Parts: sequence; C-alpha cells; structure tokens
Amino acid sequence: MTGRFDAIAQWVAGRRHRVLVAAVLLLGAAEFMAVRLYPASLPLWMPYEFSWGVFLATSFAALWYLRGFASCPDSRKPRRWRIAAYFAGLFLIYAAMQTHIDYAAQHMFFIHRLQHLVLHHSGPFLIALGDPGGVLVRGMPRRLKRLLDATWIRGAMAMVQQPAVATLLFVGLIYLWPAPPVHFYAMLDPRLYTLMNWSVTIDGILFWALILDPRPAPVARLGYGPRALLCLAIMPPQILLGAAVAFSTRDHFQVYAICGRIMQMTGLQDQQLAGLILWIPPSMMSVVGAIIVLNFLRLNDERVEATAMSGSMIRA
Amino acid sequence: MPRILRNSHGWRLAAIIFSSLALSGCDRPDPWRLVEMEDRLPPLAFDMTSVQDGRTVTAETFRGKIVVLEFGYTFCPDICPTTLATLSRVLRDLGGRAGDVRILFVTVDPDRDAAKDLKRYVESFAPQVVGLRGTPNQLASLARRYRVAYSVTPAPDPADIEVMHTPTLFIFDRDGRIRLLSPRIDDPGSIEHDLRRLLDEPRHGGTET
Repeated sequence: MTGRFDAIAQWVAGRRHRVLVAAVLLLGAAEFMAVRLYPASLPLWMPYEFSWGVFLATSFAALWYLRGFASCPDSRKPRRWRIAAYFAGLFLIYAAMQTHIDYAAQHMFFIHRLQHLVLHHSGPFLIALGDPGGVLVRGMPRRLKRLLDATWIRGAMAMVQQPAVATLLFVGLIYLWPAPPVHFYAMLDPRLYTLMNWSVTIDGILFWALILDPRPAPVARLGYGPRALLCLAIMPPQILLGAAVAFSTRDHFQVYAICGRIMQMTGLQDQQLAGLILWIPPSMMSVVGAIIVLNFLRLNDERVEATAMSGSMIRA
Repeated sequence: MPRILRNSHGWRLAAIIFSSLALSGCDRPDPWRLVEMEDRLPPLAFDMTSVQDGRTVTAETFRGKIVVLEFGYTFCPDICPTTLATLSRVLRDLGGRAGDVRILFVTVDPDRDAAKDLKRYVESFAPQVVGLRGTPNQLASLARRYRVAYSVTPAPDPADIEVMHTPTLFIFDRDGRIRLLSPRIDDPGSIEHDLRRLLDEPRHGGTET
C-alpha cells in the first residue's frame, strides 16, 4: 500500500509542473463540457454543476501533496494514517460538491445539512488531522510558496486563527447560512450558493487546523488545553440551533418546496431531520476533536520526558 | 471607529437612519406580491422545440414578452391543469395586454408527451400558452439553471409511472431577466397584479444572456 503510494508520488514528482497543470486544465475542460452539454446523461459521480474552483483546488491539493511527499526525506515523511486522513478529507469535500450529491443537497434540507457537515466539519477535520501543511509547501511552485509567506497573508491567518475570532467565525457561519431569509437566497442564487460552500469549507480548514495541530504552543498558535476547550465551546451554540430547528413546528425553509423536494417527505420531516444533523454529529466531532487534542498533549508530554532523559533535541 | 458611533447618541442616530431607510423601502405605494428575485437566478436561456409549429425556439424568441415559465406534463392529474387554468384566467383578466405575455409550459416527461398531444393540451387553455419539448439534455440544463427538481420513475403499467416536478412559476421581464417566483398556484390575484406591474415597465433592451 505505502509502496504503491510512494510509486505514484514518485511518478507525479517526475513530471514537470507545467505538464501537470496542462493535464489538470485539460481534464477540467473535458468535465466542464460534459457537464454543460450532457446533464441528463451524466453518471451520478460526475458533477451536477461543474465548479472550476473546487476542481482546481482539490486537484492541486492532491498533486502538490504527492510532489511534496516524494521530495520528503524518509525521516520526515508523514505517517500512513495522516496521508489516509488527508486524502479522505479531500475526497469527501470533492464528493460533497462535485458529484450529484450536490443535486440532492439543493433539493432536501437535511441532505444540505449533511453536505455542510462534510464541508465545515468532517472534511476539514480529516484534512487538518492529516497535517499536510509542510508536505504541501514542499510540493507547490516556488512563486506560490513566496506568496504564502507574505506578511499580509500571515497577518490575516493570525487574525482569523485568534481563538475568539476563530470560534466566532465558526459558530457565526453555522448561524448565518441557515438563517431563513439568508438561506432562501443562498439556495437559489448560484453566486451566493458558491460563496456559502466556500466560506464554510475554508473556515472549517482554518478552524480544525488550529485545533488539531500536533505541535505544542508556541510553535502551534494555541496550547493543547485551550484548544480542547475551544472544541467544547462550539458545542452549546450548535446544540441550541439544532434543537431549535428540530423542535420547530413550522416549516421555515420554503425554498425546498419551491425548487421541489426529491424525496417523499413533508417540509417539517425534512426540517426535523436537518435539525438533528445540526445538533448531534457536530457535537460528536467536538468531543472527538477534544479527545485527539488531549492525546496530542499526552504524546507531547511523553516525548518531552523521553528527550529530557536522553538529553537530545526536541523535534517538533 | 468614527467618534459619532462611540457614544450612545451616535448609535441611536444610526438606528434612526437605518430604520427610516428600511421603512422607506416598505413604503413604496405598490409592492410586489410574489417572491422578488431581481437577478438572483440567471437570465432566461434555453433551446427547445415549440410544439405549436415544430420549430426550435430559444429565449431570444420571447424577448419583448413577459414570460411565465412552468414545468409540468400532460398526464399531470391536478397541479399542472390547475396552474394552467389559473394562468388562463389571469390572461383573460389582463384583456388586451395579455398579448405581451407568454406562458412557456415545459414538459418534464417528453417521452410520453408527444408533440401533437402537448400541442392539443396547451391550446385547450389559452393562445398565449406555448408547449415546449426538449431532448433529455435540453430539459435537464433548463431545470438545472433554475434549480428545479423533476423526475420520471418508469413503471411497466403506464398508470404507475410517477412524475415529480415543482409547481413553482418563474417569471421573467421583457429583457429575459428573472424577476419573480410564484411558489403558490392558488393566488391569481397576486399573479395578475405583478404581471400588470411588469407590463407597465419599459423594455431596457439588454439582451445579455
């Protein structure tokens, strides 16, 4: 398994970057045309609405990772489970936006909530768990690397990953998009719809990367304890919103009736199910996140102890 | 932060300005009664066959007319005929002005709705109703454009074939821009009111798609 992954990474790293870009663009163009011209004949794994943004972002996230992985010295190569987590997260995000799951999400409120569970929670969570930053930077073109090092980008990152801001953003987006007047137009207007999906995905990656950083502070932005607390802090607002939606006796989301539901379900049933999805799985993710952070804390303590005994350098 | 916003008077002032702006918005003498869309969906565009004359028609064909877009099928037991009957009544009430309105009835079941059946069906309602039939791909791309769900579940017995589609009406102005949605079909008064308002508007001449 690792052997095959190594071989693929070596093969990708052996191509010139320009060739990879051309191949991705060509594949994207083919998919774009197919989706545009043959919407009725597409298999379900093809996009319902093709997005260049999602296609390019996920393609390069995969390619740069493979290139970076190939150039890592053996001692610094990520563990197998981290690689698996990273690609699983990437795959989930791609599948949620660029297959016919998106059609279902546009037409059933609870499937929309499942889609956002992937985009805001589990997809970014897995990517962050994969801790791909170092490998990605190794694999991306030098010019982009320099751009990411720019002070304004670092400043912006520091600001949105400031714990209070990160929590507010994370919970704020969960409250903003389902707010009935906003939700109505977000589900109809393709531009708002795109903005909604991108905003939760990017925010999810930033938030979970802040939480699931394996390194201790100050190399990581926050210490392990505050990060575990942050996981728990985002729980109550989500439980509250989920419960409010699940227990509401009025259908607040008319947009699904307007576009047409694709399952035999009343608006209220759809909404109750969506409420449960807002309520339960995110809370479980928070608990899992907190447990993982506490485990990082334990592992780090053990490492510090071990190195203190052997007197060698601490490796981040 | 500007100084005026730092004290509570500033906030109060801001609140007053904001609420008066909001109120002036509601204050318009004649508000729309259907759901306002104002360009929140793309302009009308499609490529289909008109069952009346068998020719290929596009959104361009209907520039200059107010267009009401409806999805349905001729075997539809209740929703489609009710909607079309409601719309026919609205057209009758519009009198001479109805000539500037077109109802585009797009079949979501082109396999069973042969052109001649669909023609007979739409003509039984009003002369302004145009029956449109497309290939599965033409139909799917129009439905996707307006985020419309539809499906035909085949069955050996034709009586068991299940067709699903949304009853929503999509209303476009003379320039093909989306202006209104009508989620309910039992409110001819609102539809007529808003169509009159749209008919009063001059054409801007924008033909971008």
